This record gives sequence, C-alpha cells and structure tokens, in this order.
Amino acid sequence: MQARISALRVARGGRVVLDVDELELPSGSTTAVFGPNGSGKTTLLRALAGLEPAARRAIAFGEPGASSDRVSVGLAFQRPVFLRGSVRANLGLGLELRGVVPVERAARIVEVARECGVAHLLERNARELSAGEAQRVNLARALALRAPLTLLDEPLAGLDHGARTALLFDLPRLLGTFATTTVVVTHDREEAFRLAERLVVVVNGRVRTAGAKAEVYRRPPDTETATLLGYTVLPTPAGDVAVPPGGLRVGCGTPGWTLRIERVADLGNHEHLLGTIAGHAVDLRLPRGAIAPAAGTDVEVNAAECVALRASGGN
Amino acid sequence: MRDLLHALTEALGLLASGDPEVAAIIGRSLAISGAATLLATAAGVPLGYLLARGRFRGRTLVLALVNTGMGLPPVVVGLVVWLVLARTGPLGGLGILYTRRAMVIAQFIIATPLVVGVTAAAVQALPEELPELLRSLGAGRLRTVWLVSREAQLGLLAAVMAGFGGVISEVGASMTVGGNLRDSTRVLTTAIVTTTGRGEVAAALALGLILLLLAFVVNLALTLIQQRRGA
Repeated sequence: MQARISALRVARGGRVVLDVDELELPSGSTTAVFGPNGSGKTTLLRALAGLEPAARRAIAFGEPGASSDRVSVGLAFQRPVFLRGSVRANLGLGLELRGVVPVERAARIVEVARECGVAHLLERNARELSAGEAQRVNLARALALRAPLTLLDEPLAGLDHGARTALLFDLPRLLGTFATTTVVVTHDREEAFRLAERLVVVVNGRVRTAGAKAEVYRRPPDTETATLLGYTVLPTPAGDVAVPPGGLRVGCGTPGWTLRIERVADLGNHEHLLGTIAGHAVDLRLPRGAIAPAAGTDVEVNAAECVALRASGGN
Repeated sequence: MRDLLHALTEALGLLASGDPEVAAIIGRSLAISGAATLLATAAGVPLGYLLARGRFRGRTLVLALVNTGMGLPPVVVGLVVWLVLARTGPLGGLGILYTRRAMVIAQFIIATPLVVGVTAAAVQALPEELPELLRSLGAGRLRTVWLVSREAQLGLLAAVMAGFGGVISEVGASMTVGGNLRDSTRVLTTAIVTTTGRGEVAAALALGLILLLLAFVVNLALTLIQQRRGA
C-alpha cells in the first residue's frame, strides 16, 4: 500500500507540530521516521493512522487515480495498552472487529503468537505481563491484522537490554511475514538503520531529509540531521563538516583540528578520548593497543572522510 | 444503653410481624429510588463519558460544577423542585407535586451528579490511548464507547451504587416534594422522621434497620456483579 502525503499540517494549541510538504511511502517499503523526542514523529504516524482528523485530506493511500483517504492499519502505540482479559482475547479483538470468522481468527492468533514468541502467554491476563512480554503482545496485536499499512511507534521502548536485543533481532523477520508497507517511529539511530530501508528524518515538525537509507546517510543536509545520524560536526575555514562515526583519528592531516582531552574512558578492550574541539564535544575511539595521551593535553586529530554541510539547518 | 437494647428488640419484633404498611413503604422506597437511579444512570453515564473524554471549552468548569453537585443538599433540591412544581411555579400545570413522580424527579436531580462524577473519574482512570486503539483496531464510534464502558464497568457500577445510596437515604427532598402522605408518598426515610416525631422510637429504629438492610442488599448485589466481572 503506497501512501502519499502532501501539504500536511497539524497544529496543537495554536502551534504547528507537523508541517510536511511532500512525502511518499512506496508500497512494500519499511520506513523509519527518525528524529529527536517531540519532533513530530508520532504525529506523523497518527496522521497516517487516521487519528488526526485535520490531516485526512493531506494523505492519499493506494495507486494514483485509485487512491483513498482511508486505509486499514495495524497500529502499535508506544505504550502497550490492553483491554481486560487474556492475551488471546486481546490479540483477537481487532480480528473480531474486522469481521474475521472465529475459525480463521483462532488460527491467526496462534500463528502470530507463535511467530512473535508469545504463544505461551495466550491464556495469561494481558495486564499482568512484563514490559518485554507486553511489548511483544502489543506488536503481535498489530501484526495479526496483516493490514496493508503497519505503523509501529517506538516498538522497543521501555525494554531492558536483553529484551530489546532479542526483539530487534526478530522484528525484520516479523515485518517480512506479517507486514507489507511499514512505518516505524524511533528516536534511536540503530533501530532506524536495523529495521528500515528508507529513512525520514523529522526535526521540529519538518522533514529534513527522506529517501533510501544509504542516500540519507551519505548526504546529511544540515548540522542537526548530521548529529542525529551519528556524525560529529566540526568547524573548518570553509564551513562546518560532518565526520562519520569512527572517522576521526589521531595525527596531522586535512581537515585537521586540535583536540583538548578531558577524559580517557577505558571500555575494556579499547579506549576513547573524550574532549572538545573548538567547543564541540568529541568522542574519539582509539585503535586497540594504542597508547592514550593524558587528560588535559592537546592532540592533533584529522578526518579520513567528511561531508560538507550547508551553512544553516533552517526550519 | 438499656433503652437502645429495648428499642432493638422491639424493632426486630416489628420486622418479624410482617406489617403490611411497612411492606408497602419498603416497596415504595425501592420503586422511587430505583427509578430515579435508573434515570440518573441513563443520563449520567453518557454525560460522564463525554466529560472525561471530550475536549471542549469550559470542560473543567463543568467538571467542577458536577463535583459540587455531588454534594447537593437534598432539602435544597427539594425546595427548588417544589418551587418549580408548585401550582404557581413554571411546571405547576402538571399537578404532580406531592406525588411519587415529583419524588423521582427530585431524587433524579440528586443522583445524576453522583453518577456523572463517578463515571467521569472511572473513564479518566482508563489509559488515554484506549479509544484511539479501539478505533485503529476497527471499532466504530458506538462500539468504541461500548468497549470503553465495559473496561470502566467497575467504576460504572460504583457510580450506580453512589447514585442509589445517595437517594435511598435522603429525606429532605422526599419530604418537601412528596409530602410524606400515608399510603401514597411515605417512604422509609420520611416514615422514620414521622415515627420519631411521634415518640415511637422502636418503630423508627426498626425502619432505620430496614433501610440499612435494603441499602446493603442492593449494594451487595451490585458489588457481587462488580467483583465477578472485575476478576
């Protein structure tokens, strides 16, 4: 299910929280809407889910010429909310509301529960699940619908490290099985890159860049986007440049800077130099075995590769 | 202490005798307060839902008014209803003052803010995302309201209990608009006032016991439903 957004504006309390000129979600794609907290990501997801009445006319679903302003969605809110009753009843509610006959409903509940790793929880009270279990059931409820558009809001929020790692590993397979066109909202760079092939970077309610993930990563348009994508933004006489993660190294070169070391962090098998370059915080990973300079000293550093940025991020 | 024990013994004797007049008063109390509670539930639950979920100007003010209304003095309600239904009042033409209907109207006014207030609190206690979640799962507007109400049913039953408890035990409004007419508008609370006034302490205490028992039986039934569904 393809979705096209044009001239979408959502305001709350007189303040515009989302303003998107044009955005396309190709059919069958998985897109990560990525940005800091409060940037308008969830509002974009809600607009796609039809939960922002003012936004309905700005979104067209389906092929041009045969498009509709409504589509069936499988939506998982960030906070897992369940109705009273068992996990099975909660997984079945959406199917029941969509008129799926009981026999097929039962089979689909079992299938989605098995795939999502919650089959053993089916008879449990949905309100007595651990955070990890609840997040998986929340996801399973959205996926069970096999909707043409699947919308996931921070699907890994609130999980401990182990549960997050496991679900992050399983999610691409689950989306491949149950979802077609998918939009995942996340503030986490790793999640965005691991789950999606397309990225939409939203800052202050505006889409800063959108497209195939590699394309977006290679060409951050401004300082904020570059920082979000993990680049270190540093000044040069020709303007700001964005150095990719791991791109800084000790030694003279062009472009080059003087790093004032404030602290050396020992991470077990390697060390990081933490300090500042012209007021910008810098975290430089040293190669294994390298001897770290002392805190309080200055060292010359350079970037093997970097991207020139526009003068201002704009808004 | 001895007087109290003596009165209690007499009261139990009166209860055991199965006095037809007492039976009629019990039936009347149940019918009037039951009808008022049913009407208050029908009006109050949707209003409470609207207040909890609606986003409109003046919502907080309305909520504050409802919460104030939960403490309405019955005698004041009775007085206002009396003024409206009195022959010279705006609805005097109906000629229903000193009838059971007038008592139902007054008790409805007392019970409704209780039902609205408790319903609003129960619905507000539900997760904010619930209605939107249900809509995204495919529920229409009415189905959403139904499912949200089902989730809030513990609170909704508490609202009904609050409404019934408020009216079965009130005396001021019933006395003012009902007139405490024997064989017509005398209910348990007004009967207690009358018998106490006559100095028949044992009879008054017996009626008081019956009132308590009645409220207990109704609330026990509602609590059983509430707790079974909430399990």
